[in-house]
Amino acid sequence: MMEILTSRHWLEWAITIAKFAFAFVPIGFILLLIPLERRGAGFIQDRQGPNRSYFKLPYFGRIRLFGWVQNACDGLKLFFKEVYAPNHVHRILFALAPAIPFAIVLISPCVIPWFAPMVFTFGDAVIRIPGQTVDSEVGVLLLFGLSSLSAYGAVLAGWASNSKFSLLGGLRTSAMTISYEVCLGLSLMGMLLLAGSFRIDEIIAWQDAHVWGIVAQPVAFFCFLIAMIAETGRAPFDVAEGEPELVAGFHTEYGAMQFGLFYMGEYSHIGINSILVACLFLGGYSVPFVEMSTIQANVGISLGVLCGLIVLALLAFLHMIYRYSRWYKTSSASNKEVILREYSLYKLLAWAAVPVVLVLGILSALFFHPEYTIINGEMVYGAGVAFGTALIQLLTLLVKACFFCWVWIWVRWTLPRFRYDHVMHLGWKVILNIALINLVVTAVIAKLVLGGN
Amino acid sequence: MSNYYNMPALPTEKSPKVPITVDDREVMVPGDTNLLEALQTVGIETPHICYHPYLPVSGNCRQCMVEVDNPRGMGLAIACYTPVRPGMKVATPVTSPRVKNARKAVSEFMLVNHPLDCPICDKAGECSLQENYITSGQNESRLSGAAGKQYHGTPENEFKDTKGQVRGGKRLNIGPRVILDEERCVQCDRCVRFMRHVAHDEQLQLVSRGDHTTIATFPGEKLDHPYDLCVTDVCPVGALTGKHFRFEQRVWMLSRTPSISMDDSLGANIWIDHNNGFVWRLMPRCNPEVNRSWLSNDSRLAYLQFRENRLLNTDKGISESASAVSKMLSSSAGKIAAVLGGSCTLEDAFAVKELQNAFPNRVEVFVGSLDTAGTPDGIAKSGDPVANRKGFALLGFEISAEELCKRAGEFETLVTVHADLWGANASLAAALSAIPNRIALSAFENATTQASTVRLGVNHWSEVSGTMVNCNGFLQKLNAAPVSPSENLMPAFRVLGILSGKPVSSASEAFLKLREQVPVFAEFTHESVRSAGVKLNGVSV
Amino acid sequence: MVRQIKQKPMNWIERLYIFEAFRGLFTTMKHYLRGFFRYETLPTVPYPEMKPEILPTYRAKHRLMLRPDGTPRCVACFMCAAACPANCIYIEADSSLDGRIEKKPSRFEIDHLVCVFCGLCVEACPVDAIRMDTCDTSYVHRTREDFIANLETLTQWNPNDYSQNDVLSQAAPGGIKNQQALESWKLRVY
Repeated sequence: MMEILTSRHWLEWAITIAKFAFAFVPIGFILLLIPLERRGAGFIQDRQGPNRSYFKLPYFGRIRLFGWVQNACDGLKLFFKEVYAPNHVHRILFALAPAIPFAIVLISPCVIPWFAPMVFTFGDAVIRIPGQTVDSEVGVLLLFGLSSLSAYGAVLAGWASNSKFSLLGGLRTSAMTISYEVCLGLSLMGMLLLAGSFRIDEIIAWQDAHVWGIVAQPVAFFCFLIAMIAETGRAPFDVAEGEPELVAGFHTEYGAMQFGLFYMGEYSHIGINSILVACLFLGGYSVPFVEMSTIQANVGISLGVLCGLIVLALLAFLHMIYRYSRWYKTSSASNKEVILREYSLYKLLAWAAVPVVLVLGILSALFFHPEYTIINGEMVYGAGVAFGTALIQLLTLLVKACFFCWVWIWVRWTLPRFRYDHVMHLGWKVILNIALINLVVTAVIAKLVLGGN
Repeated sequence: MSNYYNMPALPTEKSPKVPITVDDREVMVPGDTNLLEALQTVGIETPHICYHPYLPVSGNCRQCMVEVDNPRGMGLAIACYTPVRPGMKVATPVTSPRVKNARKAVSEFMLVNHPLDCPICDKAGECSLQENYITSGQNESRLSGAAGKQYHGTPENEFKDTKGQVRGGKRLNIGPRVILDEERCVQCDRCVRFMRHVAHDEQLQLVSRGDHTTIATFPGEKLDHPYDLCVTDVCPVGALTGKHFRFEQRVWMLSRTPSISMDDSLGANIWIDHNNGFVWRLMPRCNPEVNRSWLSNDSRLAYLQFRENRLLNTDKGISESASAVSKMLSSSAGKIAAVLGGSCTLEDAFAVKELQNAFPNRVEVFVGSLDTAGTPDGIAKSGDPVANRKGFALLGFEISAEELCKRAGEFETLVTVHADLWGANASLAAALSAIPNRIALSAFENATTQASTVRLGVNHWSEVSGTMVNCNGFLQKLNAAPVSPSENLMPAFRVLGILSGKPVSSASEAFLKLREQVPVFAEFTHESVRSAGVKLNGVSV
Repeated sequence: MVRQIKQKPMNWIERLYIFEAFRGLFTTMKHYLRGFFRYETLPTVPYPEMKPEILPTYRAKHRLMLRPDGTPRCVACFMCAAACPANCIYIEADSSLDGRIEKKPSRFEIDHLVCVFCGLCVEACPVDAIRMDTCDTSYVHRTREDFIANLETLTQWNPNDYSQNDVLSQAAPGGIKNQQALESWKLRVY
C-alpha cells in the first residue's frame, strides 16, 4: 500500500485527486446551458425570453443579470417543491430512477482529457500528469458505455411510474439509445482507425499532428453529431417525451427536484457530449494553428494574448452595455432608470476588470520567461509553465464545447420533431449505412494512401 | 275644420261581403265600412296618422292615400273616409307610383317641422310617423338647415338649443300626468277628438293656424281628466307622453303579456309591458266588446304599486307554511269563513270551492272586500272594484263580506284571499277580530295581513295565469307576466289547493277541474279562451 | 368554399432534408443574432414597462364625451344598450336640469368583464357620446364590481391625452377649445 503511495510524488497525488473536480464541469455546463437555451429560444423566436427575476443590491437596485437570475429562481423553486409520488408507482424504483442519469453524468467525463499530459519538474522530481481523471486504455469506449447507462434511468422511470405514457416514453428512449449507440460507435470508427487508439488524448494528438477530425472525417462528424443529438434525446429526436403524444414521456409522473434531476441530467449530458465532439473532431484542447511546444516556450506571451482576448471580450460587452444604455435613455420604458442603474454595475465591474486583466497580461508577457531543463532529449519546463499551458488548453476545450452546446440548442429550435418511425428509419437505414461505408472507405484509404498497418 | 265628424263604421262579423278590385286583384271585403278597414281585412296595411278606429274620422293627415276609380278615371283619395262601394277599383303603392309618391310626399311634409328626437323620444319604436317614414322610404332629407324646422311651437316656449338652433315647445307641463311636446306634434287632432267624443270633456284644443297650429289647454286650465293618459296612446307621435313612463324604458326593450286589469269588474284588457322582471307600464289592449282602446288612469297607474309592500314569505317556504295551515284547519272542527277578494281569478274561487268540499259543512264563502262600488263611466270602468263578481256568482258565491262582519261570532277561522277587509273599511272589519284564527292570503303587506294571525304571501294578479268573468259575462284570460318578486311565491289557488289537500300545479289544470263542476264553462279550456275573451251564453248581465 | 392550395412538390435536394435543415439553421441563426446583437429591434417588448403604441382607432376602454360645461353628451337613448351584443350596458334615464336638453343618464354602467369590445355601441350612438379611443387596453381591479365603469369613471379623461384636432375632446373642460365652446354654449335663450 505504502509502495503505491510513495511511488509517486506527493504533488502528483494532489493533482490526481484535484482532477476529480473535473467531474463537476458538466454540471457547470447546466448553468450555462439553461439560460442559453431559454434566452436563445426566445431570440430565435423573436421574443424576449425569461428575464423578469432579479435580486437587489444596495446601490444598483434590481440586478437581473440578463435573465440568469430567473433560471436560478426556477431551479430554486424546483428544489423547494414538495417531492411527490402518485399512489400507483413502484416506490423504490420511482425514487431511484432520476438519480441514475445524474450519477452517470458525474462518472462519465472521467476519460475526457482536459489538457495535454503535463510533464514538469518540481524540485528534483519530474512529474507526469495525464489530462484525464482516469487514464484508461479503452478511453472513449468507457465513456460510451457509461453514458449508455443513463438509458436505465429513463427505462426505470417509465416502468416505475406505472403509467402508459411513461412506459411508452421509457421504451422509446431505450430503443433510441440502443439504435443510436450503434451509429455512434460505428461513425467514430473511422476516426479511431486513423488515430489508431481508443484513447481520446491520442486522438487529439493525432489531430494536432495531422488535421482536425472534422476535416479528416466530415461524414463521420455529421453522423456522430446526429447520433449524439439522438442519444441525448433532444429535438428533433425527442420522441421519448413528445408532448403531443406522450404528455412528457418517461418523466410524466415526476415533479419537483426529481424532475429537476432528469432535466439536469439531460443538460449535463449535452455538456459531456459537446466536450466529446470537441475532443474527437475539433482537436480538443489543442490550440488551433499553434504548437504546444510554442506555447510552452512562450508561455508568458501566450497568457498575455489570452488576457488580451479577455479584454477584447470585456470591451465588446461594454460596447453592448453602452449601446443598450443609450437606447434605453431614449425609449419609453417606464423602468429605464432601474435598468440604467443595473447597467452601471456591469459597467463598473467590466471597467474594473479591464485594467486588471490588461496589467496581468502585460506583466505575464514581459516577465514570465520559462526556464527548462533537458531530460532524455526533451525540454521539460517548470510547474508554472505546465499549469499555464494547461489553463490555456482547458479554456480552448471549453470554448469549443460551448460552441457545440449552442449547436444543440440551435438545432432544437430549428428542426421540428421527427416521427418515431422516421427516427428509427434514419438511425438504422441511413446513419448506420453511411457510417459503415465511411468506415470501409476510411480503412481502404488508410491502408492504401497512408500506408498504416 | 269642422268640429263634428262621423265615427268610422267598423267591420263586424255580420258585415255584407262585397267584391272590390285591389291592385288588379278581386277580393271580397266588408261592404259597410271604410276603405282603410276593408283593406285591412284582406291584409293590406294602409299607413295612417289621424285615423283611429274608435275616434271620429277627421281625415286631416292625408297619409292613407289610395287611388280609387271615379268618373274621371283613377284619382287619389283618403282611404279612411272613402266608403267601400261594390265593384270599386283600388290601387295601392304596389301598382300605383302616384300613391307611392303621394304617401312619400305627405310623410316628408309631416316631417318638415318634426324634430329628429327619436333617440330621446319615448314614442320611438311605436311611433306611427316613424313607421310610415321607414315604409315610405324617404330616407334622405331634402331640407337645408335654413329651410326646415322653422316651426318652434308657441313663441313663449322658444329656446336656443345646444347647436344654436332656435327650437321651442319642449316638455310643456299641461297636466298632472301628461307632458306635451309642441315640436313633435303633427296636428292630427286625435287627442282633441278623444277628449271631445270619448271623454266628453273638451280640455284640449288646436290653437293657431297653419304651421303654427299647436295643441293647447284652455288658459289657466290643466289636462286632468280621469282618462287623460289615453291621449298618450292615441297620439301617433311623441307629442303627448305620460309622466309615469317618461324616460323609464325604451319601448322596444319591453316584452308584452296580454292580461286583464283586475281592479274593476269591466276587466279592461291590458298589455303588461315588462322588462328585467319589472312591470314598466300597463297599456290598453284593444277589445271592441270590453274597453275598446281605452284604459282609465287608475287601472293604468296601478302597476306603480305592484312591487310595493309585497308579502314575501321571508321566514319559511310557502309550501311548508301552507301545509302547516292545512294541518291546523283539519285538526279543528270550527267553522271557516273564506273571503274572496276582487282580484281573485276563477281558479282561486274554484280552489275555495275545493276547500269547501274538503271540509264539508264547515266553510262558508263571502265575496268582496267591503269596498264601495262606484258607477259605470261608460268608457272603461264599471265602477265595481270586485272584478270577478260575476265569476264568483257562477260558482255560487254571492254572500257579501258585510254579511260576514255581522256573523263574525259563528266562525273559528277566517281565510281572506286577496281581500283587504281592514284596509277597505276598518270599522266594519273590527268585528272580524273576534275570529280567533285569521289567515290572510295576500300579495301585499296591508292592514288585513297586519290584523291576521297567519300571513301567506301569494302572487299578484299580474303574475298569475287565470280566467275571470267580467260584468258583461265575458270569460277573459289573464296571462302571467314574468315579474314575480320572489321564487317563494305561489298563485293563491295553489296555496288554497295545499290548504284543502288537493294541490294543483297549474291554472289550466285547475280550470279543467272547474269546468267539470260548473257547466257554464264546460265548452272552454284555458287554451280556447282567446285574447278577446268569449261571451258566456245564458249569463244574465 | 373549399380552396385547395396546391403545394409545389419538393425537388430531390429538398427531399434530402439535410440541406433544407441547414437552410433552417441559417434562418434561426439570423433571428438569434438579431436578438443578441440588435436586442432593441425585437418586435416584442418587455411588456409592463414598455407598452406598444396603440392607435386611437383601436377599440379600447370606453369613455363618455363631455359637453363644454362638463356634463356627459349622452342623452340616454339606449341605442348603445340596444346594439350591445353582450348586454353589458346598463342605463337609467332622467330628465335633464338644462332646459335645452331633455334627457340625461342618471346611471350609465358598462360591465367591462362582460363587454366584448365590438364597438357597436360607438357605431350606434347618435350623438357621438361614447367612444372607445382611450387606448387603455389593460386595467386591473381587485373586485368584479370595480370593473363596472360608471358615469363618473367614464367621464374621467383628460383632453390633453387626445389629439388637438379632436374638436369634441378639446371642447370638454380642460381642453384647448373649451373656452371658445363654452362661450357659444352659454348663449342660453329659454
